[in-house]
Amino acid sequence: MNRSVKGNFITRDHPYVFLGGSLIALLGLSLLAGEPHSLSFLTDNLPGTLCRIIFWGFLALSALALVIKLTNGRNYRSTFLCTPRMRLISRWFSYFVVLACLLALLDRGLLQLVYTVQTCMQLEKNPQDFGSSMIYMSVKSKDILLAGVWTTVRIALLGTTIAFVLSIFMVFLRIQEPDKRDNDFVKALKWLASHFSRFYIFVIRGTPMMVQALIFYYFGFNLFKRTNMSVTEINHIWSFFISGLCTVSLNSTAYLTEVLRGGIQAIDRGQTEAARSLGMSNWQSMIKVVFPQAVKNSIPAIGNEFIINIKDSSVLSVIGVMDLMYATKSVSGIYFRSLEIYCVAAILYLILTWLSSKLLQYLGKKLDTPVKGIPSSN
Amino acid sequence: MDECVLKIEQLEKSFGDLHVLKGIDLEIHKGEVVCIIGASGSGKSTLLRCINLLEEADDGHIWFDGQDLMDLNVNLNALRQKIGMVFQSFNLFNNKNVIDNCTLAPMTVKKVPKAKAEEVAVRNLKTVGLSDFIYADSTRLSGGQKQRVAIARALCMEPEIMLFDEPTSALDPEIVGEVLDVMKALAAEGMTMVVVTHEMAFAKEVSDRVVFMDQGVILEQGSPKEIFGNPKNERTREFLSRYLEDKQE
Repeated sequence: MNRSVKGNFITRDHPYVFLGGSLIALLGLSLLAGEPHSLSFLTDNLPGTLCRIIFWGFLALSALALVIKLTNGRNYRSTFLCTPRMRLISRWFSYFVVLACLLALLDRGLLQLVYTVQTCMQLEKNPQDFGSSMIYMSVKSKDILLAGVWTTVRIALLGTTIAFVLSIFMVFLRIQEPDKRDNDFVKALKWLASHFSRFYIFVIRGTPMMVQALIFYYFGFNLFKRTNMSVTEINHIWSFFISGLCTVSLNSTAYLTEVLRGGIQAIDRGQTEAARSLGMSNWQSMIKVVFPQAVKNSIPAIGNEFIINIKDSSVLSVIGVMDLMYATKSVSGIYFRSLEIYCVAAILYLILTWLSSKLLQYLGKKLDTPVKGIPSSN
Repeated sequence: MDECVLKIEQLEKSFGDLHVLKGIDLEIHKGEVVCIIGASGSGKSTLLRCINLLEEADDGHIWFDGQDLMDLNVNLNALRQKIGMVFQSFNLFNNKNVIDNCTLAPMTVKKVPKAKAEEVAVRNLKTVGLSDFIYADSTRLSGGQKQRVAIARALCMEPEIMLFDEPTSALDPEIVGEVLDVMKALAAEGMTMVVVTHEMAFAKEVSDRVVFMDQGVILEQGSPKEIFGNPKNERTREFLSRYLEDKQE
């Protein structure tokens, strides 16, 4: 085959023009076979007919090519279909097929969606059709859902930030190791600090966040109850949101502590040795040399923790935090439809995590620390 | 050269079952350049690391500045300020540029004002021939440049003694020279230096005394002329002859 590799995609010669073009033509025809809606511009009018002619014409040409190929076998290349002029014509023909198919996609895809949304907004009753119902419910209850999204984002953002601050404190406790030169009191203190941190991480990582959320909520509630406050007052101070935020913060603290500890351990021992050899104390070398490097290396993992919190904060709906999950449950209760609205929730969560991971990738690039993909849950 | 800066007595160190230092006695005098040579695993580096307590020795005494470093109540950070150390793997602070590497310790430990610390740092960087790299990122330097920054960094603390732990072993042969030149200049200025090295030519040329270590003991020590010219110990002779053979190949 005398295919030239030069030139761009449009001007270059391609193999499988008939096969690929036919598939696209079939797709276009199947799109156009669907019922037109009021916004359609490809109906039985001139453009619509033209598109159909292009599709059918290309299919006919391809069928002809197939017949010639089958009858001629190896001599196919010497038939008129393989002359340079014919190749050029069939290639350009296929581009028109693609163009027509794109138009069909716009018409029966995008405009169809716009049309469905428009009609759904005017509907009085939840439609039976799956897609329409999804759109109907999300449009009708967009305020509830958006409030849920906003709460989820706030909890994840605030929770991760608070957890980061706490984990810095916690990791300093975690890495304390009694030294031969410390006096007994300091030795005991260091042992206590390190073991407290270990125990905290052991408990938090070993229990589900849903259980933690319930325990924190009722613990706080009972605590306030001792002050003889009324239930309304307690709910005002120790609100679902606050207790949920505490849960996420304290939960993430355990994970971020381990992240930072890993970051600190990954720093070459030589960095500390050099600092100590210059007369800097253990604390000084940690603060000035090791910790800044450890935090920088941990930035991707800290970002991951944020994305995990977007997803995992959904369990907070059990204590009544009005996050996206809670909002979805409410909507499902209003309309008595579950599958459709949970799919909407999934899409919204996906958008949130996708956007955050893109944002983190961008920030990571700026800080020279690469981040990839959406992390798995804790 | 009579004033004894550092005196090591009966130093013992084990890593688990491995007995690395078996009763080391060594005196370092003011202004003296002592090279410690010996096969890998003979305890040279461990000895050096024990001197400023990066490794804690099990037993013995290290007298420095009138105090025993092995005493558990001694202010270690204060004494370490006076003992400069240069590592095989440079260990520059990766999160700091060249000048901040040099000023960090004087500013945090000695509380030297920033301007003064930078002035000293620039002077020391000039001594090691790096005045063009003052604001360079420390991770982007070549090995030889990194090691010279490490030397300047140690000098900024104005130490009484400098320890060099195989300072040229991680460098390729072509740039070993630039680091050795800096060390020679330092020796010429009268700095007290303890150098663990495999650079026999350097030991021969620069040192006042050569110490040969083998299997955790000091087998022989003396002037470079004695050690290289007429080693008394059989093991020393064997080590040096093998080294010379390698050189000739």
